[in-house]
Amino acid sequence: MQKGIIKLGYRKIIDASTHNAWDQFVFNDTHLEFYMQAQRLDPAGKFPTFRLLKEHVAGADQLHYLTSTAAIGYIRQLNDLIPDVANRFGKRCLPFQQFRFEIIDSHIQDKSQHKISIWFYSDPVTWIDTVENNLLIACGDKTAELPTGDELQTDLIPLSPFLSITHFSPSERSIKP
Amino acid sequence: MERKEFLKRTFSALGIAAISPMVGACTTTDTVEPDATTGTTTGSCTTTSDETDGPFPTKSPASLVATDIRSDRQGTPLTVKITVQNKNASCAALAGALVDIWHCDAAGNYSEYGGTGMQSTNFQSVHFLRGRQTTDATGLVTFTSIYPGWYSGRAVHIHVHVYNSSGKSLKISQIAFPEDISKVVFAQGVYASHGQADTTNARDNVFSDGVTTNISTITGSTAAGYVLTWNMVVEA
Repeated sequence: MQKGIIKLGYRKIIDASTHNAWDQFVFNDTHLEFYMQAQRLDPAGKFPTFRLLKEHVAGADQLHYLTSTAAIGYIRQLNDLIPDVANRFGKRCLPFQQFRFEIIDSHIQDKSQHKISIWFYSDPVTWIDTVENNLLIACGDKTAELPTGDELQTDLIPLSPFLSITHFSPSERSIKP
Repeated sequence: MERKEFLKRTFSALGIAAISPMVGACTTTDTVEPDATTGTTTGSCTTTSDETDGPFPTKSPASLVATDIRSDRQGTPLTVKITVQNKNASCAALAGALVDIWHCDAAGNYSEYGGTGMQSTNFQSVHFLRGRQTTDATGLVTFTSIYPGWYSGRAVHIHVHVYNSSGKSLKISQIAFPEDISKVVFAQGVYASHGQADTTNARDNVFSDGVTTNISTITGSTAAGYVLTWNMVVEA
């Protein structure tokens, strides 16, 4: 396949089975925020789950954004590196600034039903090659450097569940005949 | 090269490599060492080793927690002072209550709060004019904001939601504004192009049942900025 500039997307799902510290902070704080914000849309508590709120209450989609306010502090603590996705050395290396926050479902009282996902979108990286099940990449747009033969610093990223290529643009070099 | 010199250089290179391994090719800001756990091989693939979410996560308040909620919004300065009283305790000040406020900007727009749109880690202006504070021993919270604008069909207002310290809702209400002051504000500055509000407190759907408990006291001037004070009585 033709190589080029790509953005990688990683969808991180956080629910009650989560165990590491960062995930638990996000899980607990976004559940509290969901509970707090849901009370404004449904003061009587007639619709205890997010699904029911979406079905019956206008504006329930606001809860994605309003609940995300409890996660943003933790997302900033990641220091602009996508979590969980490691290179072959086991180090996080994919820079990101863009993310999307989504409530999959939740319950105002029963925290065990709280489930959210965060999409992390990497900054543009140059996809140089594919080595077995790994993408050989260099950060940023390196399409100008590739033809010069200069040495590039690279990373090898194993393809894994919930990691995908979300954006693609052909490099300047590859679209030339 | 002499063998001795070659070995010296090699060890020197290894020494440097040990201090600053070229593992974060994309960036070198991730300095947290990986867990000692190594990957386990199953069949033809290898489980990714556990990785510390460095830097170590710390408890972080919601981004709504802020005293200055203006973000990038321009307008006449407004200090919002809300005192929360507890009707169930002889109207004593309620300390430790969470107070959320939100209002529109000079043009009548709220910060975006729809759906699952893309957000950016370094872009905060989507959070303008929303804030949360915890009441002090006197039941008071103070926000630094701008005088709200208006939008069609509603009188000028600030939304307020008070919770107890566990997040349980105690009261949702709205602060109304004295119309004589709004008229002065909307005739000047960034408000002027939007004109005067089209809905009075008396004709407003929310306030039409009377604004006695909603109306705020406002002092100040367009030059010096205004201070809004308002008492909110909840049953906690």
